[in-house]
Amino acid sequence: MSAERIYRLLLRAYPPDFRAEYGREMVLVFRDQCRESDVRTVGFWARVLCDVARSAPALRAEAWRARMSDSTRTLEVIMKLAAVLTVLVGLFGVLNAVVEWVAGSKGAIDGRYVIAVVLGGFASVLLLGAGVAILLETRWGRQPARLAPFASLVSMAAAGLLFPWMSIFSQLVGFGLPVALLIALYWPRKPSWGSTP
Amino acid sequence: MVTKRRAGRPPEAYLPLPPATFHILVALADGELHGYAIMKGVAARSEGTVRLGPGTLYGSLKRLLEARLVEEGGERADPERGDERRRYYRLTPLGLSVVRAEARRLDAMVRAARRKKLIGVRPA
Repeated sequence: MSAERIYRLLLRAYPPDFRAEYGREMVLVFRDQCRESDVRTVGFWARVLCDVARSAPALRAEAWRARMSDSTRTLEVIMKLAAVLTVLVGLFGVLNAVVEWVAGSKGAIDGRYVIAVVLGGFASVLLLGAGVAILLETRWGRQPARLAPFASLVSMAAAGLLFPWMSIFSQLVGFGLPVALLIALYWPRKPSWGSTP
Repeated sequence: MVTKRRAGRPPEAYLPLPPATFHILVALADGELHGYAIMKGVAARSEGTVRLGPGTLYGSLKRLLEARLVEEGGERADPERGDERRRYYRLTPLGLSVVRAEARRLDAMVRAARRKKLIGVRPA
């Protein structure tokens, strides 16, 4: 096997993007080195191996960090879209609680109805607050973001007790989805917006 | 290690440079060079004490290109080394400022060592 073929095999230690960009140039430089050195010596191959062992892991780590940074940015965009959805769900919930209250106040109101409407309104306000807090990224906004999953869980449990006719699926969609969404939104992660890598 | 930094930073923000990076920038201060010419220049200037392999050289060049301290100067064949087209690299104005700043930093360190008689005197 020729020295160049061995070196081409060693190049596989480098990240594919780096190989695509600089592989040809590296082979040219290696060819120049072969012309001016004795490739049959242990010293020559020790230097080659040492160079690969020193540079390839660092470049692999850099490529991995760059990939992670890209995926973090993608996740941030998804989370922002989810926050917009949360604001819409919160707004819809608040409007629904108002309409329910107006409609219910025309007839006789029992305690369970009041609790249900108040709980629904409360959870919706928190959802709205959490969504706005995440979109605006203010420090004070962290509190409603913290409370919102808890409030949604309480609403989910209350709905299960107060309205046993409601299916588990409806509960999950109506209350469980915002809970999962908010937990995902609130999950601590390194901010990358506006920062230069 | 040189990483991508915000534009408009002073050259001192890039310091200290890793030795291999400094040697590459010093070699490129002579003008546009291809990879092997950089390697030869570094080996000659350091009297053989610094020998860059292709991995170290192109890894450093990649970081220097990302940090905009170096730019590509096109591809052409080196008449001394055959017909294969080679990529040439050259310093950017920012790269020149950074290598000057690093040279000044190293010079100040050497002068401090000399004042303390750590170098420039024969050992007893």
